[in-house]
Amino acid sequence: MEWKRFLVNKLILFFMLSTLITAAVSLIGAAFGGDEHLGYGDFLTPVKYAALCMLPTLVTYARRELSPRALLLRKALMLVLLEGVMLFIAFTSPAIDTNSSAVVLTIAGSVLVIFVLANLFMWIKDSAEAKRMNRDLERFQRTYGETEA
Amino acid sequence: MDVAIEQIGQESRELVLIRCRAVTEEVREIADFVKSRAGSLTGTAEAKRYEIAVADIFYIESVDGKTFLYTKDRTYETAHRLYELEALLKTRHFLRISKPMLVNLMKIRSIQPAFNGRFTAVLSSGEKVIISRSYVKALKEALKG
Repeated sequence: MEWKRFLVNKLILFFMLSTLITAAVSLIGAAFGGDEHLGYGDFLTPVKYAALCMLPTLVTYARRELSPRALLLRKALMLVLLEGVMLFIAFTSPAIDTNSSAVVLTIAGSVLVIFVLANLFMWIKDSAEAKRMNRDLERFQRTYGETEA
Repeated sequence: MDVAIEQIGQESRELVLIRCRAVTEEVREIADFVKSRAGSLTGTAEAKRYEIAVADIFYIESVDGKTFLYTKDRTYETAHRLYELEALLKTRHFLRISKPMLVNLMKIRSIQPAFNGRFTAVLSSGEKVIISRSYVKALKEALKG
């Protein structure tokens, strides 16, 4: 993928994350701390979090198409960075009790589970798509002739 | 160079004749174009020129500004650019599956998922090539005919 297009995709991701984090903070805040008072500096929190969460995805950039194995390695690296970012956010946030190892483990475990599930769902969706394409391929080759090697 | 077209009867053999003072690169390109329409391409391997049947080509790849034709067990270099071959071989079931690659759809054995919305095309030679996410839509449309 071209660097320019990759960057545009990441910018779109950044703005999507900013919006979603703002919505999440607003909903969670209203439910658990509706009387809290926030300063102007807090308005930047979703933007900072979105930027931090977007950074690990940059490791998937490659000028040429990566082989499935190389992409898997990059994804593993992305997971490690994502864990680092989430733990950094947890340790720098006064609202999260990082003295409790249960809290830290829950955060790290949640990131791992969400990451694995997201990729698993994508894999299942792609497998279904591949199945449909294989059916169409078979029909295509039957229609247009020679299927031999 | 002037172009003349002469219509002939059904009993005569069709022939494209190029009358030139010297066999230049331009003349070769014209000859290659005619041959590709007739079902073959010219490629070089170990400094020798070969006629390769289009149906025998598995995929075509552009690497560092050079274009290569891949058959079951040999690789040939061609003077054509990838975009020229893409236009030439459109009607012969060749499709772009990533920025530097065209694949012969008749040589794909199966398609497998390969993470991030990309796919792998397993060719009948056993070789695997990546189908880039941005070309998946075009592939789906092509396979639907």
